[in-house]
Amino acid sequence: MGGEGWLFLFAVLMAAVLLFTMVFFIIMFSDLECDYINPIDLCNKLNQFVLPEMIAHAFLTLCFLLSGQWLAFLLNAPLVGYNVNKIMAKNHMYDATEIFRTLSGHKKESFIKLGFYLVSFFYYLYRMILALISESD
Amino acid sequence: MSQPLMLPQGWEARWDAQSSAYIYIDQSTGQSQWELPTNPSYPTSHPSASPPPNPASAPANAAPSRHGRRQYPTAQIQQMYGSAYEAQPQVGQPQPLTAPGYPDQGGAQQPQFFTPGLGGADAQQPAVYGSQQAPYGGAPQQPAYGQPPAYGQQPVEQISNQFQQMNMGQKGGAAYGADQKQLHQIQTVNLIGMQPDVSALDSPPPPYLLPPNAAVTSSPHIQPHPSYQRCTLTSMPTTQSLLNKSKLPLALVMAPHRSYRESDGDEPVPVVEDAVIARCRRCRAYINPFVTFIEGGNRWKCCMCGLSNEVPQLFDWDQREGKPADRWARKELNHGVVEYIAPTEYMVRPPQPPVYAFVIDVSQPAIQSGMVAVAARTILESLDNIPNADNRTKITIIAVSTSLHFFSLPAGATEATMLVVSDLSDVFLPKPVDLLVNLTESRPAIESLLGRLSDMFQDSHVVGNALGSGLQAAHQLISKIGGKIVCLTASLPTMGEGALKARDDPKLLGTSKESSLLNAGSSFYKTFAIECSKQQVAVDMFLFSTTYTDVATLSCLPRYTAGQTYLYPGFNASRSEDAIKFATEFGKVLAMPMGLEAVIRVRATRGIRMSAFHGNFFIRSTDLLALPVVPMDQNYVIELQLEDDIKGSFVVLQTAVLHTTCYGERRIRVVTQAMPTTDSIAELYASADQVAIATYLTNKGVERSMSHHLDDARNLITNRLGEMLSVYKNQVTSAAGASAQLAVPDNLKLLPLLCCGLVKHVGLREGSSIPPDLRSYAQCLLTTLPCQSLVPYIHPRFYSLHNMPAEAGNMGEHGVTLPPALNLTSERLERHGLFLIEDGQNIFLWVGHEAVPRLIQDVFDLPSYGELTGGKYTLPVLDNPFSQRVNNIVAKTREMRRGVYRPHLYVVKSDAEPALRSWALSLLIEDRMDHMSSYAQYLTTVKNKVGQGVLS
Repeated sequence: MGGEGWLFLFAVLMAAVLLFTMVFFIIMFSDLECDYINPIDLCNKLNQFVLPEMIAHAFLTLCFLLSGQWLAFLLNAPLVGYNVNKIMAKNHMYDATEIFRTLSGHKKESFIKLGFYLVSFFYYLYRMILALISESD
Repeated sequence: MSQPLMLPQGWEARWDAQSSAYIYIDQSTGQSQWELPTNPSYPTSHPSASPPPNPASAPANAAPSRHGRRQYPTAQIQQMYGSAYEAQPQVGQPQPLTAPGYPDQGGAQQPQFFTPGLGGADAQQPAVYGSQQAPYGGAPQQPAYGQPPAYGQQPVEQISNQFQQMNMGQKGGAAYGADQKQLHQIQTVNLIGMQPDVSALDSPPPPYLLPPNAAVTSSPHIQPHPSYQRCTLTSMPTTQSLLNKSKLPLALVMAPHRSYRESDGDEPVPVVEDAVIARCRRCRAYINPFVTFIEGGNRWKCCMCGLSNEVPQLFDWDQREGKPADRWARKELNHGVVEYIAPTEYMVRPPQPPVYAFVIDVSQPAIQSGMVAVAARTILESLDNIPNADNRTKITIIAVSTSLHFFSLPAGATEATMLVVSDLSDVFLPKPVDLLVNLTESRPAIESLLGRLSDMFQDSHVVGNALGSGLQAAHQLISKIGGKIVCLTASLPTMGEGALKARDDPKLLGTSKESSLLNAGSSFYKTFAIECSKQQVAVDMFLFSTTYTDVATLSCLPRYTAGQTYLYPGFNASRSEDAIKFATEFGKVLAMPMGLEAVIRVRATRGIRMSAFHGNFFIRSTDLLALPVVPMDQNYVIELQLEDDIKGSFVVLQTAVLHTTCYGERRIRVVTQAMPTTDSIAELYASADQVAIATYLTNKGVERSMSHHLDDARNLITNRLGEMLSVYKNQVTSAAGASAQLAVPDNLKLLPLLCCGLVKHVGLREGSSIPPDLRSYAQCLLTTLPCQSLVPYIHPRFYSLHNMPAEAGNMGEHGVTLPPALNLTSERLERHGLFLIEDGQNIFLWVGHEAVPRLIQDVFDLPSYGELTGGKYTLPVLDNPFSQRVNNIVAKTREMRRGVYRPHLYVVKSDAEPALRSWALSLLIEDRMDHMSSYAQYLTTVKNKVGQGVLS
């Protein structure tokens, strides 16, 4: 298996991890709505994952950039930009005092990210298989 | 039909006017009884029954005596009517009480309808009404539905059941509600070119026109006073789409922990002492006047979720006297506001004592301004007033400069020992005991410490304030119990945790970046606030700035812990006015009885959801507000949404505040409010409450100014107003096209004025000269002041004193009579006059430069206008009637509103001190000022928006 195959295998795994993170986020948000968790605990829990998630995604994007996978890179670049912008504005962390006011926004964002990761998961899988096939030819 | 249908042979039903109920008499024996006789029953076609008197002559709700009607003939009723008795009692309410209002209800006269649907529904009715005239037109029925005799009123029930069957498929409640509903009178007024009638600002909100018989008792107190809770609309739309269409906001405005002032004619909150707390099993609502009793009074049907609940066994039992009690005299069935003494199930832990932790800044600016001395003296003088009924109150004092100074105050000692901790990064307590001490036991040590606190630090010239660390230390000390941290600081925290930078760049003022100055500059205070809220610790901030103290950041702490921020700009204790103002307010805060460890929850009829919350608290879950300490007279705004269509003829909104009083009792204050429903836009507009809407817009505006820009906040207010008036014009007045008029409903005629005041208020005003501290503080006040103080804060009061009527300033029926309020325009200012402008926070005494020396002599004891100096002033009390009247008015102005604030009195000369003069003039909001539009221009702007609304 060549470089491209390995890269996309890694990407598939990363996308799966990110996918699960988003599912976790969404579950936590609905828990909050159902009053199973209080906003302080929720924010403490989720805030641990916010930066790792962003870094993981940025790292993946960097890998694509370095290996010259332009399409995959362009696909991911907007989200990286969005994340960087959020960190610069210092509103990337969840704020327990505001969480109920912003909950619908957070949920929407998580759903969009979930969809994005899902699409990219299948795209990476497709590219991985493609790479494997072209190698075996 | 008006008499009981089925009576056993030989029985007679006779109307008893005194108790407004039927009495059943056995004709053979002469024996009489209240309950329906139960002998084998067969209908008698028309048993001899004395006709009940005319409704007018026996007003049902007069019900003078209720004695002897305590029996509930459940078994009999069930036997005869089975489950039909229970079916849809709401629809079945025949509501005969409307008879006086609609004397000819029996189908002869068609009431007017706003919606064709209702009219149609009613069209099928006349036949029914006609044939059944007797119970509606002629025969009166007994008191409110749900009162004991009602259980015996089978005829009514049966008729209504018949109705129900006939009306099958129609909107149940509407068919009835329509022709019985009282409607608000809608009156359209034009605002353009009119002087607003400012005296109407104090008028009460439109009444809640509940369907008759909505409540089980006819007490006049079943609705809470508007100062406890009011709604932006006094009738509830039945669907969200109707609400959206009307563009009216739907929100509750409340101050459940309102102060009790006898001088205002307040009634004390009735307390239910027997620990019988009837709550719905499903929605946990508390029993209230709007529930219905069913099954002969053994069960009650929740007015919110419709679940039938058992009435607690001891509900009808007087535990003190040990005998049966009158259910209809129970406080929770007669009052919109009640307080329960909660049993132990409502406690997480035994009631904690009140705890006060004073964190006092003793750095050089604080000492120099005299703040420490005044504060220490005020605490010393208030030691007797601090709530301490059972000698459990605990107190601690921490002085903060570049290091933390703790004071060990052992019980019985007469001197305090100071312990200094200079490690600010990792705060630790120097001593495990004697720092947080019992106020009574350690009184001598506390007194001696407070007596010399200021002198102790007199010589220190340290500049630097480790406030954050001090707060952390106080939090560590009291977190096991919870309580209140009272923080006094005269300088910006610059060291240790939570250090802040002076970020008030004057270049930012007036630009779109200004809103960043209104947001917290450091996350420490927010995180710390969450920590405090968790441990039931509240923080009150007293800020004394001579320079920038970052009110925006520091006020986060009170905001999320349900405290309050107080700002004393340019405080200098050597000026007696400053010292008196601070000492008075601080003393009141300390003496204020507080509710500890509180949670607030609002429950409402199914279909209504609380969607957003504004105020000082922490939102712990979707509908639970956590307040470590409930301060008095603080305002909360809760937005409502309709998730489902509302079916009933009225809805109930109930606020419950569970708290521990400072006397060690767990209590629940329950505020219950019922509102009729409506499906007409006109009715919604006619029932809108302008003060509540203005309060709502204030909160939305302030929120917007923080999340977006100040510009957006002002636009939000003006646009919302424009939308409302546009819908009103198109949907209600049905005037098409542009017109020279601005039509508003009569009950909203001052809303544009209040909105104009709001966009010109110092908290939201356009301008590059307002210090961010003042703006932030104004925003704190805007979001926490109760309506009574908020209205003058937005729309100041303006009196003319030199030509006030003779009775003004003298004692009248309700204390000192105030002169008539004037419109806020400088046209009213005369060159020779004396005027008073006040907004609840400041009082301006405006002196015209041509004031006659006699006036100056009488009021200020000075020979002429030239001798008078402007600025903060203490009016002398002179031996002449005019001076006394002016002093009376000032005194009345200072004490007439709820809250701790004691306004400063400024003397403003009309031709000197331009800054002060323009400050006073900026309160005259009907005038044009700088580039802010006058009221007339504002109306034109709104009118244009209304015009645009037509096009779009």
